[in-house]
Amino acid sequence: MFKLNLKIAWRNLWKNKGYTLINVLGLSIGMASCILIFIFIRYQMSFDEGFKDQDRIYRMVSSWDYSDGNQFYSQGVPIPITPAVRDDFSPYIEKVSAIQNSGGIVKVNDQHGKEKVKSIENVFYVEPDFFEIFNYKWLSGNYESLKEPNHAVLSKEMAKKFFGNWNDALGKTINYDGNLNYIITGIIDDVPENNSVPLRIMLSYKSLKDRNLNNWGSVSSASESYFKLKRGIKIETLSEPLRLFIKKYYTEKAPGKEGHIFQPLADIHYNERFGNFSGRIMPKKQLYGLMVIGLFLILTASINFINLATAQAVSRSKEVGVRKVMGSQRGQLVTQFLTETFIIVLISLLIASVLTEIALPSMQNLFNAKISFSFFQHPIILVFMFVLVVCVSLIAGFYPAVIMSGFNPALAIKNKISANTGGLGLRKVLVVVQFAITITLIIGTLVILQQMKFIREQPLGFNPTAIAMVDLPNDSLTVERFNRFKAQLKQLPGVEEVSFCRTAPSSQNNNGSSFAYNNSKDADFQVNAKNADEDFLKTFDLKLIAGRNLSKSDSTNEFIVNETLLKRLNVAKPADALGKMISLGGQKKPIVGVVQDFKNKSLHESIDPIIVCSRIERYYYAAVKLNAKQMMTTMKSVEQVWKSNFPEFVYNESFLNDDINNFYQGEKIMGTLFKVFAGTIIFISFIGLFGLISFVAAQRTKEVAIRKVLGASTIELVRMLNGSFLIMVFIANLVAWPLAYLFISKWLSGFAYRIDISIWPFALAMVISMAITLITVSIRSYKAAAANTIDALKYE
Amino acid sequence: MIKIENLEKVYKTEEVETTALNGINLHVAAGEFVSIMGPSGCGKSTLLNVMGLLDKPESGSYKFIDTELLTLNDRERSNFRKRNMGFVFQNFNLIDELTVFENIELPLIYNKIPAGERKRLVNEIIERMNIVNRSGHFPQQLSGGQQQRVAVARALVTKPKLVLADEPTGNLDSAHGNEVMELLCELNETGTTIVMVTHSSHDASFSNRIINLKDGHVISEKINKSRNEELI
Repeated sequence: MFKLNLKIAWRNLWKNKGYTLINVLGLSIGMASCILIFIFIRYQMSFDEGFKDQDRIYRMVSSWDYSDGNQFYSQGVPIPITPAVRDDFSPYIEKVSAIQNSGGIVKVNDQHGKEKVKSIENVFYVEPDFFEIFNYKWLSGNYESLKEPNHAVLSKEMAKKFFGNWNDALGKTINYDGNLNYIITGIIDDVPENNSVPLRIMLSYKSLKDRNLNNWGSVSSASESYFKLKRGIKIETLSEPLRLFIKKYYTEKAPGKEGHIFQPLADIHYNERFGNFSGRIMPKKQLYGLMVIGLFLILTASINFINLATAQAVSRSKEVGVRKVMGSQRGQLVTQFLTETFIIVLISLLIASVLTEIALPSMQNLFNAKISFSFFQHPIILVFMFVLVVCVSLIAGFYPAVIMSGFNPALAIKNKISANTGGLGLRKVLVVVQFAITITLIIGTLVILQQMKFIREQPLGFNPTAIAMVDLPNDSLTVERFNRFKAQLKQLPGVEEVSFCRTAPSSQNNNGSSFAYNNSKDADFQVNAKNADEDFLKTFDLKLIAGRNLSKSDSTNEFIVNETLLKRLNVAKPADALGKMISLGGQKKPIVGVVQDFKNKSLHESIDPIIVCSRIERYYYAAVKLNAKQMMTTMKSVEQVWKSNFPEFVYNESFLNDDINNFYQGEKIMGTLFKVFAGTIIFISFIGLFGLISFVAAQRTKEVAIRKVLGASTIELVRMLNGSFLIMVFIANLVAWPLAYLFISKWLSGFAYRIDISIWPFALAMVISMAITLITVSIRSYKAAAANTIDALKYE
Repeated sequence: MIKIENLEKVYKTEEVETTALNGINLHVAAGEFVSIMGPSGCGKSTLLNVMGLLDKPESGSYKFIDTELLTLNDRERSNFRKRNMGFVFQNFNLIDELTVFENIELPLIYNKIPAGERKRLVNEIIERMNIVNRSGHFPQQLSGGQQQRVAVARALVTKPKLVLADEPTGNLDSAHGNEVMELLCELNETGTTIVMVTHSSHDASFSNRIINLKDGHVISEKINKSRNEELI
């Protein structure tokens, strides 16, 4: 029986090659997208998983509440907090460990003392307790030695990089930051990429020298603190001790009210408020968004299937009738039709797997993540594919199976089942649903692209084009070479301006400081201090609206402020601020200029109050404005000059435009995803539509022929066949508009600078959807209307 | 073998009610060949459908040997049908996607006959119907007469007690039509009960008894003497 059903299924699929192709194409593309989305989500959900007692691991993070209602969060904590927690929370926590991120030059010498490796590396100072909290896999050695200064643990990859073979590394030394040698006393297996703490080089915490070691008032995102709860203790138990703890240690008055939060390890990868060392954050709502898109895709493809299957049902009514006459039961027929669907879905799955494999590299590229489509590595993918096949088979197959198996045999064997049996109404509803989804995505895509364009074209308040940001090694020795280096740079042909500064005007690296204006007490908000030399305004093309530029100096003698700062201080006229004194970091100096507002962060955020002042010890970049026509050659000479000035360091450059574009990496990914998936859904929907109109045209051949004999023109016939489809797509537009409006207004609210929602994306989506519908259905209906009349009539 | 009493069937659409069967009484003895005749719309096809358990009447009784069939549920009806009845239709109703052999095999599969036995039975009937060289063909590759032979073969392969034929020659020319009628006669002679709906008095002349229906009533019954004499 099964064999026979299979035969019928196969012969039917073959007979209706066109519909089969549409179904298989739609389903396989839909399923491939779903698999890709699943793989990606699985990868994202795998972050920070697999540690022993991971439910008990927490990270301590910081928050500040300002009196103006603003809140500020940091992944970091004051450095002295870890020893304090160790003492004060000992009844509740098993272990606590500080971890300090740093970066610098690691050098390794061969046995003759000759420099073998010199590279910029990311390092972590960790306490040995860190390894009590996180059970990494140790290949050799142990973490005991980290109790003493000047020891190091390497990952396998790093050991291999420095010493060729990781087995050789134990006992050897590396030099970090020029002044200290560290003995390798342990090797851990490589920490997988899906980890929020990308450990590669770990140094004794005791070797850390930081000016803030005892400073409770300074928080850097480079200083994190992790702890493991004692077994059986609930995290809520710690809130009262935490309140007392904060009261005990934060004794000085600060503009923001300090607070701390215990962040579960499982939250670190998803929480946007706090960063992490890996720099990879994936907000859960984006994952949910992707899930919804995946669901939409598979729904669209399933709707194609349902529509074509119910439309085709009539042609199989005779078979159903005959089978029933011979004694088949309804259940047997349902099973038979579901089996057919299952076969199609299975074939689609095979094609989908191939498509997935093909699309994977571009996906990895887009997300910059090592996602893999391997069943052996992740058997869960296989489970997902199985569930997908079963679900799709049921969604797509169940309704048509019920309809077809329900035919009255007495009518079916006489071919009296009309084409409208099997849910003409439902078919229309499904088409509307399908197109509502499609149109929502079209509108979403249009708005995202429009917003991205808006951001790109947003005046930043400065000119970021052709500016190279070159790393500037800054210590007591290199500072003395700054003047010579700058002079040499300026002489290079192709270099137009040079400014040494802490950051570019727009940067992700921002810090707040307390300050006082005009002899009053500390302002109730913080100011973003940008340290830069006198060429800063010229290089970045910043506009002064009052006063003058900074004069040349290595230390802070005067301030330039931005408009926002004056607004926050309620100073109406910029000129009024000139000459007023500002106290900042122990310096009390006058304001000499007011600079027009420029965007200092990504456009998700509004502009900070800003102070610009000179301070040579804080210059970390040389901003080089280049002649746009000869950038590449000029950069080569810049690199040469740099190397001759700082031979012991490693050269690193980036272009400001790229840096700024990187602010919008998330949006770029969103945009690309939407473009790709909207395209996919449009494609699936329209091949479905094509299948449906083909069917309608075939079914109404006789009617068309009779009308033609009675004098209808081809155009009139095309119009008749198209009519209902255009109406359905029109209704779909009406359904999609409010949905799309909700979605985009929510998305846009995440930007401080955003486009106003206008009617245009909606109207355009309508025009696009109606136009494609018209073209799709007309191709087919024209063929039907222009066909030879007599053929249709003489055959009965 | 069949006792039908007071059978009523009404078709309802939104606007009209049509009484297709209006108190039909009909007895068919085992081994009989009965023709049902009447004008279009007289209810003869409905009667045949009810007899074949393809349609349910509003009221009345339908006893097959001693079983009342109208009280059966769906599952029981299809089980009863597949064990006891064979059907021949005017438009043959062969499944286009199956070969001749597979079409004939289908009822055996529903009767859960083992594969070896199925093969034997199908080959036997194919031989008897003289369509051996066609067994691998698809229905569209056969002439109308050949298709109807396959349909008859399919109706007979389960050795049903009752064969119901709905205008079996309606789509055939007279030569092919006669062939099919002779086939049915042969079958009747071997003991199978046949009930046939037909328009053609020529076809009806092959049967033992002719029943005339009009507006859902039996208006006359006629014993076909010539055929009965032949039998004697």
